[in-house]
Amino acid sequence: MFSAEPTQDLKTLDFDVEEALNPTEAEGTFRDSRECAALLLLAGALLLSPPTPRPKKS
Amino acid sequence: MKQLSGAVHDLASELVSALRGGDHSVAGTTGSLGGDEALTVAAARTLGADVLLPSTLLRRPAPEPDVAVCRAAVHAYPPGPQSSPTVAWSHWAMERALAHVTAVPQHTPSAAGPLGGAATDGPDTPHPAGNGGPDVTALREATWQAFTHQLSVLAALAVPGADSAVAAEAARRPVDVSRGFVRAVRRRDWLQAAGAGRWLAVIDGVPPTLGLDAGLRFVLRMGGADARVALHVHAALLMRADTPYPAAPGRGSGT
Repeated sequence: MFSAEPTQDLKTLDFDVEEALNPTEAEGTFRDSRECAALLLLAGALLLSPPTPRPKKS
Repeated sequence: MKQLSGAVHDLASELVSALRGGDHSVAGTTGSLGGDEALTVAAARTLGADVLLPSTLLRRPAPEPDVAVCRAAVHAYPPGPQSSPTVAWSHWAMERALAHVTAVPQHTPSAAGPLGGAATDGPDTPHPAGNGGPDVTALREATWQAFTHQLSVLAALAVPGADSAVAAEAARRPVDVSRGFVRAVRRRDWLQAAGAGRWLAVIDGVPPTLGLDAGLRFVLRMGGADARVALHVHAALLMRADTPYPAAPGRGSGT
């Protein structure tokens, strides 16, 4: 059923197979929950803070 | 590459189905790929010895199309002089798996372990690639992060009773693999986590605080949509459920 002889089709897949068999590690980033919570609190505090006083038009 | 990824996914899905007690056929994968045999062979080479995993773990005869496609893949994609150790090891493992399924009488029950790989891996089994295998120096000297990454790429070698140098290295560093497993989960690198988890299923000395079973189920839930992840996790769960089995090198000497 499957030919053991390398065909042109197989040759063209060589690179893909080599790449699939030797992958580099995927990029990953850690998200520190405490840092995320601190940033969220800061953003919330900025949103809820009263507007800065502006000079009255006279 | 995208075409190959799809073919690998299809073939891995077939294997997962087989591990879960369903039907499986490489011919089915070829059919789903529009009869593209070259692509099926490339997908088989990418999955490596796992193409024969159902027959290895479930102790049932390997379907002839599986053996044929495995043989074709070994022949079509030999490692070159510039190939990386993972390519060489993957090829070596395929040759070993082929030797197993062709050397052992398919319908003769064995008195050895319940999982087939170990039972067929006796001293009389001919190994065309020899027992040494490719060089393992780079793996031995790798940091625990790189070590886990390389092991996960070579997860097809994680079978019961594996006697490769890669398995010996894994057995020597169970804590490093455990750390790598946790790191992979935290990075949400499910494929690496599944591969590392599969290695942890066949080595001793895994810290009980790791919670490997729960970890494997978590990885399956989060990354199981990727058939390769599902394949590794199902293999690991199957091997953990079916212990004890004959010792792998270093098994029992976990540090």
